[in-house]
Amino acid sequence: MTKLFDILRVSSRQVLRQRRRYFGVILSIALGTAGLIAVSTMSRDVKKNLNQDLELLGGCTLVKAYFEEFLPDRHQSSRIQRFDPKTVEAVRNSPGVALVSLSGVKRGAASSVWRNRTESFTLFGVDEYFWEVNSFYAASGELFGKPDVQDRQRVCVLGAELAHRIFGENNAVGSVISIDHDIYRVTGILGGLGVGDRTQFAFIPLTSGLDRITGMSSDRLYIRCASWDDVERVAESVSALVSAHQSADRLRIVFAGEQLRRVKRIVWWVEWFIYLSVVATLILGGFGIWNGMMSAVQARTREIGLKKAMGAEDGDILAQFLTEALCLSLGSAAIGIGFGRTIMEVIGKLLSSPPREDLFIRFMIAGLLFALALGIGAGFYPALRASRMEVVKAIRYE
Amino acid sequence: MNNPSTESSGNTPLIEVREVTHAYHNGAGIIPVLRGVSLSVGHEEMAAVMGPSGCGKSTLLSILGLLLIPSQGSYRALGRDLLSLSRSQQAEFRRKFIGFVFQSCNLIENTTVYENLEFPLIYAGVRRSERTPRIRETLARVNLLHRLHHPSNLLSGGEQQRVAVARALVNRPRIILADEPTGQLDREHSQLVMDHFEQLVEEENIAVILVTHDPQVASRCHRVYILEDGVLSVAPKPGTLPPDSSMRCSP
Repeated sequence: MTKLFDILRVSSRQVLRQRRRYFGVILSIALGTAGLIAVSTMSRDVKKNLNQDLELLGGCTLVKAYFEEFLPDRHQSSRIQRFDPKTVEAVRNSPGVALVSLSGVKRGAASSVWRNRTESFTLFGVDEYFWEVNSFYAASGELFGKPDVQDRQRVCVLGAELAHRIFGENNAVGSVISIDHDIYRVTGILGGLGVGDRTQFAFIPLTSGLDRITGMSSDRLYIRCASWDDVERVAESVSALVSAHQSADRLRIVFAGEQLRRVKRIVWWVEWFIYLSVVATLILGGFGIWNGMMSAVQARTREIGLKKAMGAEDGDILAQFLTEALCLSLGSAAIGIGFGRTIMEVIGKLLSSPPREDLFIRFMIAGLLFALALGIGAGFYPALRASRMEVVKAIRYE
Repeated sequence: MNNPSTESSGNTPLIEVREVTHAYHNGAGIIPVLRGVSLSVGHEEMAAVMGPSGCGKSTLLSILGLLLIPSQGSYRALGRDLLSLSRSQQAEFRRKFIGFVFQSCNLIENTTVYENLEFPLIYAGVRRSERTPRIRETLARVNLLHRLHHPSNLLSGGEQQRVAVARALVNRPRIILADEPTGQLDREHSQLVMDHFEQLVEEENIAVILVTHDPQVASRCHRVYILEDGVLSVAPKPGTLPPDSSMRCSP
């Protein structure tokens, strides 16, 4: 039997010299492999990015945990619950959790007096993460940040409708307002697709609220999950995490279950179609190998006869044609891995999220194994046919 | 496979074919091609087989090269019964002891001259370090060393045929089987190829059996056989062979 090194050398040389003939096959396997690697490796990051976009529409990956103020079967004067810092830290470090914001709302309405007119509104005390967790931004001015929260500054952000109610057409940003007898400087007006009825709320640093506002407690957590696949798991784990550090009495967990199911269904279909197209491309590549090798066997009938006349055994011919098919499929897959890596890097740059090397290695191996199976599956029959060719007929073949 | 040199010493012919018959089957029935053919070729002997087209010359050559198994008869070469060998053993015998030269389209496409000559060495398991000197030496014998890495399809017809001869020789075979090796060559190149064969027979102790339509080529052989209607007979003494038109190819 021919030595392995010689088979590899002769077969790869043959494929390289006939690369124009195999161009379509190489392209389709390379694209299929690149698609497999890019889709499989980056889908989590794309999904995460899509989460943020969909969040603006429905808050699918947001889990809200809060202590109910009153329970129907309890006395209304029961003590207000609040989240312990250890609980918050535990939730923050929980798997599948991207960001956590601790906030509180004043029991009952807050009020502000402006030009002898009193306005009542809901007052939130929020930490520096609140805006990012809820995908809020400043419609004008700016949202207060960590230094303001740490220094217990008397600053506030107003919902657009509330600002209009209080200040009318005047610019609210930079103005001062009284909230429950304290003076606060307005830093910005709240914006964002998911603002909803918060357009009528006012927001102050949670630290300032806890110090100065009667009836405010850090009684709610907004938890942004890494992806929608994590939402149900995170929602289920929060109760246990809270129970581990404090009483979970009156704890309520809320998330957009129905919206999430719909989004997941849509994405499942999209993913399914992408994988289907990747597999279809690879299978087309397989048919390309089969067709290419069959026509090569036909076109090289005389060559097969000559080689057998030189003393090549059936196994040598089988090995040569099978190795050619494998060189074709594995070589194309290697090109596809290069393409896939490039696509990964580009997507990673666009999403500001570096590709995960462990996933890349896993799907690179999967791509190579698939190409190996494709090469063997598509190349075996033509190779077998070549090896069984009668020498005399092959040599006389025109 | 054992080295048969000891078995083939003395007066034993290198090749001995006895009462070989062969027939092809087609839809209409059985077509006999060879009818009790016997021949023997000794060491350092060059034999020609002549005959009209379709008389079975190439079939006989295929049987001698173990590319075809005859319907009946015996075939011994280098002291062994070749028809009793397995398919794999026959392939081994071919790569060790037989070199083929075909009439046309002899070279493998998309390869260089070097690669064409390397294939028999690969199949014979010759080490890589030994291949290049052997290929160079063989090409030098057919005056084509300067074409070592030339693409084979860019050679002239004469050069291609000389490469084919070199490829048949590169494994240092004991038997050369050539099917109209000069069929597509001009007179000058035909002479050159025959010169090579004569030199090989004298220097390398090998036997050459060639099929030809050309009386001048046949006249340079030690023995000439005529195959007609499946029957093989020995022709008159070489050199006195007339340029018989019946031996030539039909158009």
